[in-house]
Amino acid sequence: MIEFETQVNNKIGVHLRAAGEFVKTATKFTSEIFVVKNGRKANGKSILGLASLAIERGARITVRIDGRDEREASAAIEELIANNFNEE
Amino acid sequence: MNTGMDAKKLQHALQPAGEQAALTVGTPQEGAPARKEEIVRFGISAAPGIVIGRAFVVDTEETLSVPRTRIPQDKVEDEVQKFRRALELTRGELLQIKTDLAERMGDDHAKIFDAHLLILDDVMVIEDTEALIRTEGYNAAWALREVISRVVSSLSNIADEYLKERAADIVDVKRRVLRKLLGLERIKPLNPLEPSIIVAPELAPSDTAQVDRRLVIGYATDRGGRTSHTAILARSQGIAAVVGLEDTSALIETGDTLILDGNCGTVIINPLDDTLAKYRIEIERWKVFEAQLLTLTGYPAETLDHHKVELMANIDLPNEVQSALDHGAEGIGLFRSEYFFIAHEQLPTEEEQYKVYRAVVDKMKNKPVTIRVLDIGGDKIAGYLHRSAELNPFMGWRGIRFLLTRKDIFKTQLRAIYRASGHGQVRLMFPLIVGIEEVQRAKEICEEVKDDLTRSRYQIDRDLKIGIMVETPSAVAMAGALAKEVDFFSIGTNDLIQYTMAVDRGNTKISYLYQHLHPSIIRFLKMTVDAAQKHGIPTAICGEMCADPLAAVVLIGLGIDEFSCSPNMIPEIKKIVRSVTYDECKTIVKRVLQWSTTEKIEAHVEAFLRERIPDLSLFAEGKKHG
Repeated sequence: MIEFETQVNNKIGVHLRAAGEFVKTATKFTSEIFVVKNGRKANGKSILGLASLAIERGARITVRIDGRDEREASAAIEELIANNFNEE
Repeated sequence: MNTGMDAKKLQHALQPAGEQAALTVGTPQEGAPARKEEIVRFGISAAPGIVIGRAFVVDTEETLSVPRTRIPQDKVEDEVQKFRRALELTRGELLQIKTDLAERMGDDHAKIFDAHLLILDDVMVIEDTEALIRTEGYNAAWALREVISRVVSSLSNIADEYLKERAADIVDVKRRVLRKLLGLERIKPLNPLEPSIIVAPELAPSDTAQVDRRLVIGYATDRGGRTSHTAILARSQGIAAVVGLEDTSALIETGDTLILDGNCGTVIINPLDDTLAKYRIEIERWKVFEAQLLTLTGYPAETLDHHKVELMANIDLPNEVQSALDHGAEGIGLFRSEYFFIAHEQLPTEEEQYKVYRAVVDKMKNKPVTIRVLDIGGDKIAGYLHRSAELNPFMGWRGIRFLLTRKDIFKTQLRAIYRASGHGQVRLMFPLIVGIEEVQRAKEICEEVKDDLTRSRYQIDRDLKIGIMVETPSAVAMAGALAKEVDFFSIGTNDLIQYTMAVDRGNTKISYLYQHLHPSIIRFLKMTVDAAQKHGIPTAICGEMCADPLAAVVLIGLGIDEFSCSPNMIPEIKKIVRSVTYDECKTIVKRVLQWSTTEKIEAHVEAFLRERIPDLSLFAEGKKHG
């Protein structure tokens, strides 16, 4: 299992579009992917789950990945967040 | 139309006399007599037209009663399979609606269903529902209901308009799946058995998308405004609509007779015979008058003493262009670009926008097409653009203010517009200007865009005309300075009146203050036109005011060069223009500028117009103008 903490820095936080980008990346992998914010956990492959965490700009989140391709998944997701969810 | 005032007078005129009066207003009563009482309700006029018909009430908020049962352990996997089948069937149903809609209304409308499909496929919803079936032994319908209500409640705690709207989509999807699970029919398209007026608390895009135009003659909804989806769709379908009727739908039963007046924003429930007779006469008059008006299409909009004005159309979507041409529009005076943005799930790309602008430009041949750049904010908010709710959105981050801080969005739109300009006569217009700095900054950005495009060898109109909306008191005060910066003015009377009179026209307690012919408004218009004339630029009007016949007389007299309104109002304005002389209109303006009450001004103009064109719809019985 890989777990890392990171900060969300895109313009308006994980709104629906950003959640969609996250899910698009997450579903490329077979590993289970969870996002935790303030003790609440959501499936990283669910748009509604991510959106309901209300992750605002600057929030710190924990990403937990478990599975055979966890290494690749973790790299891809870290890159996505660093790239501010491919905004513009 | 001066709806607030009309409505008041109308209500008065429609109060029945004698014994029935006791039954008029109020709540439905137990043991009421067989004759149902007449009730008049006022909302927002969303799409023009007057119709009489039977109500078809759609309970879009029906609570499907979901039984809760326990599934025996050995049947649990069957229940999970049943759930998966229901999802599959729902997916097929949504894809079908999406395809039908794309064919009939274009891809933009169909995109709304992408969100529905995403929700349907949401892995959390599916996994959690299946888990509840397996661990708790719940039936699939109950499990799904549990999961969705959890999602909706956590989303509704987030202060985000866009997400809140999605909550409605989630519920819509849930209902579809539940219906499959409960063995109910698919949600029927809103198609009644006979031509009817659809009545509902609110209509979702998925409701209105499937209507059969032969069976739906009007819409009446409790919620929504002029830019809500129902309103825009109704206008482009040419179906009369009144929205924002508050709690009216609860007063109506399927089969009730209704009069729906989309011109005034009125709905009359169970009208008395007298009222019906009045409206029937009016509908007939209107038909005859309209037919007669349409014969004017080929004639110029010229006064008896040969003063010419241009009559243009306001549109929201490319498919309204045909109607504009059919009604004799000489161009598009206002193409509101917001709707296209609002309908999208994310920012439309340059290419997507270009296609839309190009389609309008091509259809209009070489006639002018005035594109107003994105006017987001106020009552029009696209969730992905404008996240935080503002305390006072009409005075907030909207119009040009928004674009100058989001240059990325502004530039993309300008590139698309300039690219389309190479193929016809395009004009550009900036909304909500208060001073010249905004115009100068916006023009600088236009220059950058022009240079970029020229370098990339796009064929563009380098002299494309740039104008501003004059819709704030500040712009009126600065009209002289602004006129030096731009090629034309377009007065947006809806906002100008709202800001000048400090009146929110959606607020029924004060909407009487929303007066087209208030002396302050006439003075402001005069200041604007004078400044424009001094600097040799034309002035257009693109608010609803120019479709008000009384106001039209004053606007002609003020020397307004261009009138732009809903396509179906064009023939009536043309009739007015062709029935008066410029000289007498100028005299009227000179006279009313001396007066200081709306009442006196209106009475004077009305007397003049009544004598000149007695068959105008506003003189029809029961519809006396304020």
